[in-house]
Amino acid sequence: MNTAIWIKRIKCLIIVSAITSIGNMISTTKAGNPVSPLAAIPGLFFLLVCTILGCIVYELINKVSPKNLPAIAYISLVTILLTIPGFSPIAEWAIDATNKVGLLPLCTPILAYAGISLGKDLDTFKKQGVSIVIIALFTFTGTYIGSAIIAEIILRSTGVI
Amino acid sequence: MNEHLKDWRIHALAFVLTLIAEFIGTQKFAFGPLAFSLIPMLYVLIFGAILGGIKVLPHDMMEEASPYIGISVMMLTAKIAMSVGPNLEAVINAGPALIFQEFGNLGTAFLALPIAIGVFHMGRAAVGCCFSISREGSLAIIADKYGLDSEEGIGVMGGYIVGTVLGTLFYGILVSFLTSLNVFHPYSLGMACGTGSASMMSASLAAVVSAYPDMEAQITAYAATSNLLSSVDGLYMSLFIALPFCNWLYKVMTKNSRHYKDGVPIPKAAKNANK
Repeated sequence: MNTAIWIKRIKCLIIVSAITSIGNMISTTKAGNPVSPLAAIPGLFFLLVCTILGCIVYELINKVSPKNLPAIAYISLVTILLTIPGFSPIAEWAIDATNKVGLLPLCTPILAYAGISLGKDLDTFKKQGVSIVIIALFTFTGTYIGSAIIAEIILRSTGVI
Repeated sequence: MNEHLKDWRIHALAFVLTLIAEFIGTQKFAFGPLAFSLIPMLYVLIFGAILGGIKVLPHDMMEEASPYIGISVMMLTAKIAMSVGPNLEAVINAGPALIFQEFGNLGTAFLALPIAIGVFHMGRAAVGCCFSISREGSLAIIADKYGLDSEEGIGVMGGYIVGTVLGTLFYGILVSFLTSLNVFHPYSLGMACGTGSASMMSASLAAVVSAYPDMEAQITAYAATSNLLSSVDGLYMSLFIALPFCNWLYKVMTKNSRHYKDGVPIPKAAKNANK
């Protein structure tokens, strides 16, 4: 277990939580339902703990097996298990607490880091920009038509339509 | 300990950019029936890109910011996962059509990746862009596996920006068009609306409902459940099926293409030099 990595990790998670709590206040105030930074802390703390637990699972598995899933798969799994009502005793508290933190205000500081580091990749972006825009629109088309075709086939074969 | 305090400038800047962006807030624009919106996340990306582009930020600061994307995105994964547990029961009760149409989300790869490689001769950015519709969870996956400043990262970030700015607008037009073709039953059109993005779903749903107002309740229920399913299975589906599939397809398609060498597109300049 690498101490420097863990210090960096925990430092970053605490800073992001702090920035989010304030960004969340601005965004919820604009939406007419203000949540103070203090009220957002339990939810952010819960997300932080889930993240750290997921990372611990990841590193433990790393020790015993050369093949491992990415850390986010474990973080997601830990969070899901802790928030199934009836299965986890803290589920209701956790859902209630994290509902005070919006998804978008949490994204903003993350993309701020991405924006700061973006400057060094601008050339690549310029070179591929137009094709990425067109391809992205094709992905939107693909998922919609793909789902519609499968839904149509199954609804027809099961006699719903 | 001192080395951990040294990069305070990055965090201070991230804080300031976030504050400015949240103060500007979401701005909606509408031209007649077509609407699009700009959100704070886009502003921080643009601010950062401008600061980097006009060389205000030193290069080592841009480099040092990049690991923090990977760490902070883990917390976003936890937030996204929050929508799963409370909805597991609804997912179990959803029925076969709704569950199987989730695999339609792989249509991103089937349709877009061959075009990205065959027509645009894109590099690994194509994989980042094509394995999903590039929403927040996809950013997390790519940041974790490749880093957002990789080729794949540029693909998914590009897709994210396009989706955020143009997603609702594009889905409004696309779905109105598909609905007018009368090929699909309104129920199928409704289920397809659930792509995992609430704003995109609303835009698509509005287009279907306006064509079949008498079936509004049923179509809306299908769309909402399908969207819920996509947000529940999205991360795992993308990680374990869509991304490996894209990697495989990329390898197969670029292997014998004269526009690629060892899985990397041959730059135009080099091709001209060989003529």
